[in-house]
Amino acid sequence: MSDWLPRSAAGRRWLGLAPSYFIIGIFMLVPMIIMGVFSFLEPNPYGGVRPVGSLAAYIKLFFEYDLEDNLVFNPGYINIIFRSFQLSFGATLLCLVFGFPVAYYITLQPEHRRNFYIYLITIPFWTNLLIRTFAWIIILGRGGVIETPLLAAGIIEDSLRMMYTDGAIAIGLTYSYLPLMVLPIYASLEKLDFRLLEAASDLYANRFEVMTKVVIPLCKPGIIAGCILVFIPCLGAFIAPNLLGGGKKLMLGSLVQFQFASARNWPFGAALSMLLLSAVVITLIFYARAAKNRAAMEGSA
Amino acid sequence: MTAAIDIRAVTKIYNPGSNQAVKALDNVSLTIDDNEFFTLLGPSGCGKTTLLRLIAGFEQVSGGEIMLFDDEIENLEPNQRPVNTVFQHYALFPHMTVAQNVAFGLERLGKPRQEIEATVDRVLTLVKMKELGDRRPNQLSGGQQQRVALARALAPSPKVLLLDEPLSALDLKLRQAMREELKQLQKETGITFVFVTHDQEEALAMSDRIAVMSNGEVQQIGGPTNIYEHPVNRFVADFIGDTNFLDGEIVSINDDLVTCRIGAQSMFEAANSGGHKVGDRVTLFLRPEKISLSAPDRASEPGQRPGKVANIVYLGNQAAYTVDMGDGIELTAQARPREDGRLPFAIDDALAVGFSARALRVLAQ
Repeated sequence: MSDWLPRSAAGRRWLGLAPSYFIIGIFMLVPMIIMGVFSFLEPNPYGGVRPVGSLAAYIKLFFEYDLEDNLVFNPGYINIIFRSFQLSFGATLLCLVFGFPVAYYITLQPEHRRNFYIYLITIPFWTNLLIRTFAWIIILGRGGVIETPLLAAGIIEDSLRMMYTDGAIAIGLTYSYLPLMVLPIYASLEKLDFRLLEAASDLYANRFEVMTKVVIPLCKPGIIAGCILVFIPCLGAFIAPNLLGGGKKLMLGSLVQFQFASARNWPFGAALSMLLLSAVVITLIFYARAAKNRAAMEGSA
Repeated sequence: MTAAIDIRAVTKIYNPGSNQAVKALDNVSLTIDDNEFFTLLGPSGCGKTTLLRLIAGFEQVSGGEIMLFDDEIENLEPNQRPVNTVFQHYALFPHMTVAQNVAFGLERLGKPRQEIEATVDRVLTLVKMKELGDRRPNQLSGGQQQRVALARALAPSPKVLLLDEPLSALDLKLRQAMREELKQLQKETGITFVFVTHDQEEALAMSDRIAVMSNGEVQQIGGPTNIYEHPVNRFVADFIGDTNFLDGEIVSINDDLVTCRIGAQSMFEAANSGGHKVGDRVTLFLRPEKISLSAPDRASEPGQRPGKVANIVYLGNQAAYTVDMGDGIELTAQARPREDGRLPFAIDDALAVGFSARALRVLAQ
């Protein structure tokens, strides 16, 4: 054994894990610490921060100064956060509604064809999200793919005004993250024992009950994983809100992006991000608790 | 008497019209009586499981009718048929407790809560699983899962219970114990059981009647004794139990006996089952346990022939002897070990082989 290796087993184990600690440290901990620290500093009007401690960023989340310099409650940002959660929730729901049947359909295909379909699902990832979101402007926009034929046929007389609405954002988000819903659901459906479906129908379950009583409960882990994978990036998304929401219907993600790119208020952007991060972490902790309780209940832990 | 199940000229073709078309059942007709333990027996691929799945509704018939107590059911969905299935690999719902599994069918039928609880209690007691109602299937042994699967299928009081090789995943001791329990359960509940198996011993031990199937056709239907002692053809005789087959030609016939030449010049007499004529090529069959082996000095007595031990397979409670009868004929016979545990004959020993002409039967070719 070489001399430079640690003598104790624990030491050697630590050395073995060192590369992953290093990666996690550099790519996760350090940026997060920087973000946390920046949120407690003062903004530099030319970008970046000044090394002066300040709670201004967090105060700005909830309050503003009126003309007489009094702090008054400002629900503006809270509303944006609330809207973000609403839109993300809606997009997640849409992803689930469209993604589950797709995953189920793929599972029912013969094995050699399944991989091909999964491959098709991943194709959109090969192109830039920005460009794919622009495509939706052509689809939804004034004189777009949907409106033009309807106008020409006289079914509608004026523009449907689909662009720059919450609906457009939800569609964009759903489109962007649908594969992240399909893949985990497919993974859990693929493991499903289809004899259980026969057993259920043998025991007088109709098609709907076979779904609700057997298939969905058994692929719940996949559904939950898919929802998390869609919901979290939706919260932080800014491409779809900016392009399809016109930048006026702000979401948390676009607000953060705006603070760094245009408003030059890095501490406020960092504070918003910290808020987003805490919301996500709290949600995940609750989910982990629930999953652990269920596992303990089922005795499979 | 009403038939529990009447299969009328049922044909099943998988992938019809394609080049992978497989005829799993060919014009099968049979009647299963009410309150009967009926077994579908045959090698894998004979169509017995297909027939069961057609009765359950998991597959659609390609032709023919299936009647359940005079109701035509072949076009109903599985959940509309008052039959329940015990699956080969149990197919218990892993996300539910034992009691929830058993209650599943009753809940779908919309029974009141109180009745459900009482029934679940009753059937779990019936299969001796009452204490384990709160467990999950993955916390149970194979035998216990088997009992839960039975309880789950019995709970809705089906008109017919279908069992798809339910014992095949259990080890030998448990399998033998479950045979008796299943038979007992059938008597207690009075429900018609349709049992699918490839294990002839299982079929003989439990069934009231057996349908022996092969290549998508029913070969013979009858009670266990009838099937074992009077097989209608070589396939049935071969599939059920061990058998000696002797191929030869009829040389003379009288009222009771036909005399056949086997090999070059050996003559064997067999029971005359009628319909034969001199010169017919026939197969005689003789069960090993109908042959007695004794000391060689008896070989000249009537009904005895000389032979020589060619091979021995020791099975513990008995030994299977392959006896060379000369003229290219070999017979398999059985002998018990003596009290001191030694076998009565050794390889190459000369012995006397005895069997009655009534034990030899002529099989249709």
